[in-house]
Amino acid sequence: MSKIAYINDEPFPFEEGVTILNFVKENKNKRAIPTLCDAPNLDPFGSCRVCSVEVALQQGGKTKTMASCHTPLTEGMYVYTDTPSVKKLRKNIVELVLTDHPLDCLTCEVNGNCELQTVAAEVGIREVRYPEGKTHLDRHKDHSHPYMTSDLSKCINCYRCVRACDEVQGQFVLTMAGRGFDSHIAKGIEQTFFESDCVSCGACAQACPTSAISDVFQSKSIAKAKTTRTICTYCGVGCNLEVATDGSNEILSIRAPYEAEANGGHTCLKGRYAFKFYNHPDRLRSPMIKNKKTGEFVEVSWDEAYTYITNELNRIKSTSGPDAIAGISSARTPNEENYLMQKFIRAVVGTNNIDCCARVCHSPTALGMQRAFGTGAATNSIHDLEYTDCILVIGANPTDAHPVTGAKIKQKFMKGVTSIVIDPRRIELAKYATYHLQLRPGTNVAMLNMMLYYVITDGLVDENFVKNRTEGFEELKEEILRIDIDALEAITGVDRNLVREATRAYATAKAAMEFHGLGVTEHSQGTFAIQLIADLAMITGNIGKPGAGVNPLRGQNNVQGAADMGAQPHQGAGYLDVTDPEVNHRYNTFYKREVPSHIGYKIPEMFDAAINGDLKALWIIGEDVVQTDPNTNKVIKAMNSVDLLVVQELFMTETAKHATVILPGASFLEKEGTFTNGERRIQRVNRVVEPLPGTKPDGQIIVDIMNRMGYEQPDYTAAGVLEEVSQIVPFFAGVKWEELGDNGKQWPVKPDGTDTKMLHTDSFKRGLGLFTYFPFQESKEIITYQKDYPYIITTNRELEHYNCGAMTRRTGNVEILTEDVLMINPDDAAKEGIADGDMVCVESPRGKVDIKAFVTDEMKPGILSSTFHFPEVMLNIITSDEHCSEALCPEYKVVSCRIRKARKTHLRKAGELEEVH
Amino acid sequence: MSKNLSKLSGRKGLENNLFDRLGSEAAETGTIERSTAKELADEYLMGKANIYGVTTFYDFLKPENKGKEIYVCNGSTCLLAGTQDDVYHKISEKFNADQIGHMCCLGRCHENSSFHYKGRNYSGDSINKLDEIVRNRSIFNDDYHVEYYGEQILTGLFKGPEAVRDVMRKAINMSSLQCLEEIKTSNVRGRGGAGFPAGFKLDSCRKEQDDEKYIVCNADEGDPGAFSDRYLLEHQPWSVIAGMMIAGFITGARWGVLYIRAEYPECIRVCENAVRDLVNLGLLGERILDSDFSFKLKVIKAKGAYICGEETSLLSSIEGQRAEVRVRPPYPTQKGLFQKPTVVNNVETLAAYTHIINKGGSWYRSIGTEKSSGTKLVSLDSFFNRPGMYEVNMGTPLSYVINELGGGFKTPVKAMHIGGPLGGLVPLGEIDKINMSFESFSENGFLMGHASVVSIPQDFPLIKYLEHLFEFTAAESCGKCFPCRLGSVRGMEMLRKSQNEDYKMDLELFTDLLNTMEQGSLCALGGGLPLPVKNALAHFEDELKPYFG
Ligand SMILES: Cc1cc2nc3c(=O)[nH]c(=O)nc-3n(C[C@H](O)[C@H](O)[C@H](O)COP(=O)(O)O)c2cc1C
Ligand code: SF4
Ligand code: SF4
Ligand code: SF4
Ligand code: SF4
Ligand code: FES
Repeated sequence: MSKIAYINDEPFPFEEGVTILNFVKENKNKRAIPTLCDAPNLDPFGSCRVCSVEVALQQGGKTKTMASCHTPLTEGMYVYTDTPSVKKLRKNIVELVLTDHPLDCLTCEVNGNCELQTVAAEVGIREVRYPEGKTHLDRHKDHSHPYMTSDLSKCINCYRCVRACDEVQGQFVLTMAGRGFDSHIAKGIEQTFFESDCVSCGACAQACPTSAISDVFQSKSIAKAKTTRTICTYCGVGCNLEVATDGSNEILSIRAPYEAEANGGHTCLKGRYAFKFYNHPDRLRSPMIKNKKTGEFVEVSWDEAYTYITNELNRIKSTSGPDAIAGISSARTPNEENYLMQKFIRAVVGTNNIDCCARVCHSPTALGMQRAFGTGAATNSIHDLEYTDCILVIGANPTDAHPVTGAKIKQKFMKGVTSIVIDPRRIELAKYATYHLQLRPGTNVAMLNMMLYYVITDGLVDENFVKNRTEGFEELKEEILRIDIDALEAITGVDRNLVREATRAYATAKAAMEFHGLGVTEHSQGTFAIQLIADLAMITGNIGKPGAGVNPLRGQNNVQGAADMGAQPHQGAGYLDVTDPEVNHRYNTFYKREVPSHIGYKIPEMFDAAINGDLKALWIIGEDVVQTDPNTNKVIKAMNSVDLLVVQELFMTETAKHATVILPGASFLEKEGTFTNGERRIQRVNRVVEPLPGTKPDGQIIVDIMNRMGYEQPDYTAAGVLEEVSQIVPFFAGVKWEELGDNGKQWPVKPDGTDTKMLHTDSFKRGLGLFTYFPFQESKEIITYQKDYPYIITTNRELEHYNCGAMTRRTGNVEILTEDVLMINPDDAAKEGIADGDMVCVESPRGKVDIKAFVTDEMKPGILSSTFHFPEVMLNIITSDEHCSEALCPEYKVVSCRIRKARKTHLRKAGELEEVH
Repeated sequence: MSKNLSKLSGRKGLENNLFDRLGSEAAETGTIERSTAKELADEYLMGKANIYGVTTFYDFLKPENKGKEIYVCNGSTCLLAGTQDDVYHKISEKFNADQIGHMCCLGRCHENSSFHYKGRNYSGDSINKLDEIVRNRSIFNDDYHVEYYGEQILTGLFKGPEAVRDVMRKAINMSSLQCLEEIKTSNVRGRGGAGFPAGFKLDSCRKEQDDEKYIVCNADEGDPGAFSDRYLLEHQPWSVIAGMMIAGFITGARWGVLYIRAEYPECIRVCENAVRDLVNLGLLGERILDSDFSFKLKVIKAKGAYICGEETSLLSSIEGQRAEVRVRPPYPTQKGLFQKPTVVNNVETLAAYTHIINKGGSWYRSIGTEKSSGTKLVSLDSFFNRPGMYEVNMGTPLSYVINELGGGFKTPVKAMHIGGPLGGLVPLGEIDKINMSFESFSENGFLMGHASVVSIPQDFPLIKYLEHLFEFTAAESCGKCFPCRLGSVRGMEMLRKSQNEDYKMDLELFTDLLNTMEQGSLCALGGGLPLPVKNALAHFEDELKPYFG
């Protein structure tokens, strides 16, 4: 039976635990009680007292004045929201606030959208009666930062910014300083935004009710013609964005909607602020064909470009067969465009040579999880963090690479949820973790074997789950019991007792949730490690319940979707096996063309085939393989070996420079479709502005080519393509463009439209979960080169930049993080005579790069790490050809190298390479 | 309050307590340097901002405290006694202005002329021996009457580890539930001001399912005029510590914190010594008296902020956070120190536990009044003929305390400010109606509070005293809630202006201000200030009238 309380003598039911404020908001209206310090995504704080109401325990009884925002409602309370007494109180409080606030609303950036202004009007302030006294109107403005701004003379001391930085981002940049009337907001130790540890997430600016903290885009100003909801184009968190535009196709600013399920009012600096690339002067605005003689690109019309491409493709197809053509689709583009690209390659060209960047990131996840569970996607949702008792993060650095999810995880870590980090680096989360297993790069399999060993030997197996839900346990057990713990301890370099304790913590938690990233997949044993993670989850019964599961943190915004749509050579749309005759028949019928039933090239195989002459044409959408795929010199050689290289791009990337034809695509802000985030959430990307003149949405480009090559495909619309997808991809059966709403749906979506938050609840997709054992095997890279190249360099990501940086380097982010650096342990640096900031020459068997040293104890001795966001370094010159034996995902994480202080003191010019050895 | 900071601070627990560290890091220079802030932030996994924010909150950590050598008391009784101009003058002959700081109430209200030098308090005639003090670090103890009227409990003999051992043996033999029953039976109410039923508080903490709980002794007696906690800590530390142990035994807490204000250096020394003795004798630590009961105790020295007496601020303070008042619920018994169930009790309340366990709850209940059982310590200031510390049965007439125990006043007094700055202003004419009990004070529109008595002499302008009260609140406001942060300053400005300029206060505006603070403030600092001011307006209308338009 629900309880009853009264608002102005009118009864309403309520749920235990609700505050008076929320109770009134729900039953009356959102503005029934004015507030200043309250915010939707922050804990109640109770500083402004403007939300005061009178409360009695019986009708008309003796009342008490209480702040509604933090007072829980109790049975039979009589809440009076508008008595003369509270009205007067509110007015008098706001009057006090205005005694220390500039009275220049008309020139203020948030005029018309200021909560103080609104509340002052609501409570009916007409004048400030106090005599002139002390004020803080002389505070200086802070314009030091590319994004964040402050004008603290406008501050009303509501603490919302401090709380946002603490409770949402967890960065602790802001504080109140001083006491009483002197208390004021400080960044760090009275620093500017730029000097502080601010990560520019913008949470404080969004939280601030006035313009005291804001951003350079003045995101709270009312100078906008309209707002459009869309989804961030960067990482797989899939943040909902609300984009403000003026009347003339210009984007003004971006905010995060509070009610968005994926991000709840939060973003990182990439989603919120790094949008200025979209109309950057560097944007490609015309198709171009390379003049073979001069090597210069010549601008051509779309028609010329299409004709050239079609002629070439037809020629190659007829002379060398369709398998001499391949496509690399883009995980940055919507599902619909990925679907069309793979359809074009399969049905129009007639080959399974289609892949996407999932190859170089989570292909082992997809494969490994399919083998173990039957589905290659996150088993649970990010929201499950609310129900978990233990968080295990393996080979992922979410606070940089998946910032909004990272911030959520960090909140849990800080609050003391049992937490385990398995990572060679002392990443930010490791500092807060209960256990940090700092293993040597490339030894995940050894570590997971040790953990499985302790689960079994310490009697921590969830017998029920194993018995009812899985197969292969006895075989696994037999193998695991035979492992040599001494050897594995030496290999991983982690104390076995620590491993044992962490294992116990994971195995005994009521619900333990696993997250992993590229630190698991980008290894020669990547797929095996995934299967062992699956083993660990199953053996402890951590699948199919809230707060548990195996949850890959998908890298690119739509890498989940690209694979779902079939942009991979062995599985078509919906993960159906292309070699299966029944499936083949199904595709043939659906596409009304013969689709081959032999598996096509994976990306590394495409490069090999290009170099040895088997591949003649390659079509790449939105992927800078030259800068981001390993062993740059080899990739370049492949690019230069094909007859036709079509690159569909926003910018003249390192890859585009090698193209035969460049087609200027459109950015996510200029087109529509759906992105599927890391928790299988299919969300609507809505067009915010029209494509720049001269560019076309990528989906339309593919449709144009399909038609020119004789395949009738209707013009691109998101709704139209999605309709087609829903007929061929089983788990999209109930997906309809119009029904996705603001928060999208998590697949599988049943034909009636209901979606799925958690997978494998009663049975696995494949029936029983499959246990498999894999022994540790040292990477060939180490076996072959360790002697001459004693250091191991591993690769990572920085918060400010995204992958090749083509977009983020064309935004204010580049003022915040200006270059790639080499992270090196202080002992190693001392040993090699390298000081912080020195240029270091890093040499591997593939080549060498010069890069600036950043000396940090985040690294263990012997291990280095760096990023490949900048073409001035081109780190992939040194990365290797080794890859996962199963999924062909490159081993970016284990590269043998040696280092010395560089002779050069400056970086190379962007993209400039030495001679190919 | 930040939950994250609570938890992060809690990771280091009390053994490597952040607040304590801030104190020791600042010991040298008087403040926390930037580089230290950064190191501490790294060590405690917080932001530099957090360390800086905390540093600037406390009088004895903030950057302005750097280089301060000697502190002059600026509390209410020293002000009313008019002794401090002379003290300051004499000190400034030996020290530069930037070496001289202020401390608010050293608890030497019985003789005034108070100042603090290098970890020692001085008062009375000591200022005339400043040379010797600076040269030899001489120590001069203060003297005051300590007497009782009725039952002698808190001022009685309870001395040494032996006494602690005896009462703890008794408690342990009784079981924790029985101990709780005794406290409940005694009906003892919290002595920290609010008079909250102590048994109820212990019980609600006991009921929380958590193996980490805390007992905090609130020894931040900041009310100018009050020195009863100081008396207990200096002269009866054993009963206070035993009381904490009993509270720990009842609730299942294994840690106690004795949070003592920095303005009471002698108390800190005495208590630290007592704790050391008990640890050495195995009376604090693991398996006390071979029982399952383990209890550790840490003395924490505060850093100068009156608001830390408010229990939730106090908890944030121990955590090394800015001592800003928290919203309730959750109550400290649910989510207190480090977000764990915590009992915060006043010094005197805890001392009472010891005697209740010793002599029984019914015995205690038989003393005092129906609603206020037991005895109460009363502090009488230097305006009395017999200043000092008086233990009286609850219910003793106020006039008896003033005229008989205190021996009346040395000079004419027009009102007494009883129960701290937030207590009521009692005109001399009202004292016959009142007796020493929670209910009697509140029925008459006043507050017993901590039962400190600050006398306002006939010739001291009330308007100036009201200004002082606003100034005190403005200086000590934690700054969190709008009505107090802004209202205290605006009120102070109005009162000041009305004395110094051709300005008359608007009574309606002034009343609005008082109501706003009273109804709107988050805690009783801002919320309590209006009471004495309203008392003054009601009882001294004629004196105050000229200042209003
Ligand atoms: C502004 C303010 C100052 C306070 N100062 C003290 C104090 O110095 N000592 C104290 O014991 N309680 C003080 N209190 C009361 C405490 O908040 C709390 O009620 C008390 O410590 C509880 O102990 P008790 O139950 O034993 O009374 C103060 C409260 C407020 C609002
Ligand atoms: S932008 Fe984010 S990190 Fe920076 S101060 Fe604001 S909330 Fe903190
Ligand atoms: S800067 Fe804005 S959010 Fe922060 S306290 Fe001031 S008004 Fe509130
Ligand atoms: S990059 Fe990721 S975390 Fe950042 S706003 Fe975009 S989707 Fe959100
Ligand atoms: S009343 Fe004053 S001291 Fe109390 S919470 Fe408000 S600002 Fe802080
Ligand atoms: S909204 Fe409740 S106190 Fe500010």
